Amino acid sequence: MLIVLSSLIFFITAITLVALKIYQPGIRYAWLIAFGGTILALTSVLIWQAQMDFALAIHFWQPVELFTNPIAFRADGLNWPYAVSLSALALSVLLTAVVNPNFSDTFTWAGTLALSGLGLLAVTADNPVTLLLVWSALDLTELISQLRAVEGPSNSEKVVIAFSTRVLGIGLLIWANVVSVSSGNSFDFISMPAGAGLYLVAAAGLRMGVLPLHLPYSSESNLRRGFGTSLRLVSAASSLALLSHIPTASLASPLVPFLLIPALAAAIYGGWMWLRAPDELTGRPYWIISLAALSVASALSGNSAGSVAWGCSLILIGGSLFLTSIQNVWLNRALLVGAFSISTLPFSLTASAWLNNPGFFFPFIVITQALTMAGYIRHALRSSGRDSLDVQPTWTRTVYPFGIGLLVFMQILLGLTGWNGARQIGSWLPAIIASFLTFGLLWATPRFRIFNPVRAHWAGPSQNQGPSPYAFLWGIYRFISQLSKTITVTLEGDGGLMWTLLFLVLFVSLMTQGGL
Amino acid sequence: MSAPAIWIFVPFLVGGIILFFIHERFSAAIGGTIAVLLSLSALIFPIDTALLVGTVSLKISASVQILGRSFIFSTADGPLLAVIYGVAALWFFGTQASGTANRFVAIGLMIVSLLTASIAVEPFLFAALLLEMAAMLVIPLLVPPYQKPKRGVIRFIIYQTLAMPFILFSGWMLAGVEASPGNIGLTTQAGTMLGLGFAFLLAIFPLYNWIPLLTEEASPYATGFLLWALPMFTVIFALDFFDRYAWLRTSPQLSSAVQFAGVFMVASGGMLAATQRHIGRMMGYTAIAETGLIILAMGIKSAEVVHVTFLLLIPRGLELAVWALGLSIIKREAFNLQFSDVQGFVRKYPIAVIAILAAHLSMTGFPLLAGFPSRLALSQELASQSLFISFWTYAGLLGLLIGALRTMAVFVMAEENSGWVVNETWIQAGMLGLGVIGLFILGVAPQVLQPFISRLPALFEHIGQ
Repeated sequence: MLIVLSSLIFFITAITLVALKIYQPGIRYAWLIAFGGTILALTSVLIWQAQMDFALAIHFWQPVELFTNPIAFRADGLNWPYAVSLSALALSVLLTAVVNPNFSDTFTWAGTLALSGLGLLAVTADNPVTLLLVWSALDLTELISQLRAVEGPSNSEKVVIAFSTRVLGIGLLIWANVVSVSSGNSFDFISMPAGAGLYLVAAAGLRMGVLPLHLPYSSESNLRRGFGTSLRLVSAASSLALLSHIPTASLASPLVPFLLIPALAAAIYGGWMWLRAPDELTGRPYWIISLAALSVASALSGNSAGSVAWGCSLILIGGSLFLTSIQNVWLNRALLVGAFSISTLPFSLTASAWLNNPGFFFPFIVITQALTMAGYIRHALRSSGRDSLDVQPTWTRTVYPFGIGLLVFMQILLGLTGWNGARQIGSWLPAIIASFLTFGLLWATPRFRIFNPVRAHWAGPSQNQGPSPYAFLWGIYRFISQLSKTITVTLEGDGGLMWTLLFLVLFVSLMTQGGL
Repeated sequence: MSAPAIWIFVPFLVGGIILFFIHERFSAAIGGTIAVLLSLSALIFPIDTALLVGTVSLKISASVQILGRSFIFSTADGPLLAVIYGVAALWFFGTQASGTANRFVAIGLMIVSLLTASIAVEPFLFAALLLEMAAMLVIPLLVPPYQKPKRGVIRFIIYQTLAMPFILFSGWMLAGVEASPGNIGLTTQAGTMLGLGFAFLLAIFPLYNWIPLLTEEASPYATGFLLWALPMFTVIFALDFFDRYAWLRTSPQLSSAVQFAGVFMVASGGMLAATQRHIGRMMGYTAIAETGLIILAMGIKSAEVVHVTFLLLIPRGLELAVWALGLSIIKREAFNLQFSDVQGFVRKYPIAVIAILAAHLSMTGFPLLAGFPSRLALSQELASQSLFISFWTYAGLLGLLIGALRTMAVFVMAEENSGWVVNETWIQAGMLGLGVIGLFILGVAPQVLQPFISRLPALFEHIGQ
């Protein structure tokens, strides 16, 4: 019940904000209401620890003979970090919103809180059907928000393409259901047959833009800080949370390396582009791809805790950086805790990341990690383009640092306590190598032109040279299109009736020969 | 009062009265209200069971005889009648918003009453005649006054008419099969005749080419109504056949043929939908694919055949109503409904576009929408029987999804800085809004259909055993 309670707090607060905005547009304490609701939600999520593990199953759909899986949620040591991270992110968005020029944007706060409520439901979903429903709600929310924010046919089309890839992820999850049921198993996270887990990894990878590599959104999106950050990170968490549920046995397949290779390729590409991004918001899609790919790689290695560690890093460390819009030396230094958190060093948030030896893929993972860390440090220490905290009103000077500090604090807290991956020594050798490599990259960045920032671009079929999976798919589509045109012209044309009857005679003869 | 009089003759008469005596402005309200009342009465008053109201005992008798034929409704028909008239009410209330002419409600009521009669008539083979009469009544809805019928309409009536002799002939042969079940030749002939009859009625590949033609050339609202009404009653008619003839239920070849026909319709409908550039035809192919799903549901070897079939059938009425209404509104400005004509329409007709997309996504099985629970249930039943059929069904649904996403992309690709305007009237917005909310309610809480669906298996007591 606590899971629903926490989500309900978010939803009720969001509804209250919308109602206030409509019926009392001039109200001055809307932010306080949003803040109070979010504090309450975060507290309730922290209280989950007192009852862990617990579940809630609602036999909602009928007839039960057809819908055997209830709508179910579960809080355990692997999804609680996601829940805490999302709640902390919501609070952080509100606290850092105080420095925004359009501070009193109640609808944006309501949207952030509603997203967080959905995010909580997504990360705690205890079976794929529940997850499908929450994913869809998130995707529709994202679609509508994006379509309202963008201008021009090209950008609108990109939003639909991004939605399409997410929906294909949903489709893969449904196909996993079909495979699972055809093997005589129920469609839940526990009794999944060998190989079916790969579909789930692919579904999460597709939704994150990792498998195959694509950028779900262009960097020109109007949704930047605040709601934009919330939207991106909640969506990412909802997809990555799936990875922690996949039983290791269901990943037993010779196809695992064929998924690991593109995942790591995406991770390196994301890390490289993140390092060279001109600013953190432009680089945000690459940050997400890079960390999501590492999370996918961990899951494919059978390390659920590692996957969660990367997922939480994506939210907490990314969140703290993307919400930073004000320049302050102490805050910049505090952000460097994030570099420690993704270092995989002992007792860091990601210490459990490589508990399973990745073997042959080890060097690629270390390279990705180093690129991501170096990029993070570069963006965290960048001061240009940000206003100074000192010029802000007194109360915002107090509140704003709390917003950033909260996410930094959560990184440390989750590194030490509260879940299955906490207080780990981990695999320290790759961590040290990655750290040295990071320092090397930081040293090289201002000295070598290749590391200089470039303008981010949309990674789509148009940029690809030569044959690619996209070109192949497009070829299939064109073939089907030609085929369907031929069929349509034949059957709907003047001779269509005769063709139809001819087909019919053919089918009847086939059926009768079949012994009907 | 007898049940056939209430649910067949009353709506037919009201339809006639509306057609000749009622002004267009009031037809939607009157027709819709009558349909709602009929639906509620089917829910509230049990058929052929005495109901004590104070000291008065009321009983709706089950049957009536006309020209030597019986029209019989049993207690189990109550939920089915409620569903039929409930969904019909949606269509009738929507006519005013769609701008469809007066005769839609009048003729629609007559069609529904004739189709309802097809459920009740005994001997049940006469249902084929009633279905044919209903199909003929559809023509005035599809062809505007003083205009020549186009190719789609002509093919529609040809195929529906061809169905009738096949069904009647098979019925005559089926009596022989019952008498001598060992006669394989006769069984094969009867099965083939029956299959052909239903292939024409349900527009199974390649007999469905009239559907996209019709959705392109006729009023979307009238076509949508046709695509809801005729397949729904044909499916009930087909289930009746399965229920009556044990050899039909137990024939593995027939079961395979039904599944093959279904999966072929889903896959081909999906493939063709994915490549369309006309949003009317898109609705046609999606309806075809969904009919394929219903046929697949009828062919599953499970005790849940009736549940799954009606779980698909009932939301279909709402989906098509919302979709057709949205298309009707848009068609006033973009007459051709080609992609090039409707590009960027989300900013001109946001509510209609949202409704069309919601209905389209629902029919592809998008979670949270009305079509999802039924597709989930069907996919689980199919997966436990054949991964091959599941794969092609999945491929067909993927095709529908591609069609939906392409439509979405076209609708949202508005020119830069083109403002948002709501051009829908408040009635249109209200009807579409309610429809979309209904789609979400059925998607999130399919158990709202349970009061209707739970009692339906009693109508077909041999199926699924």
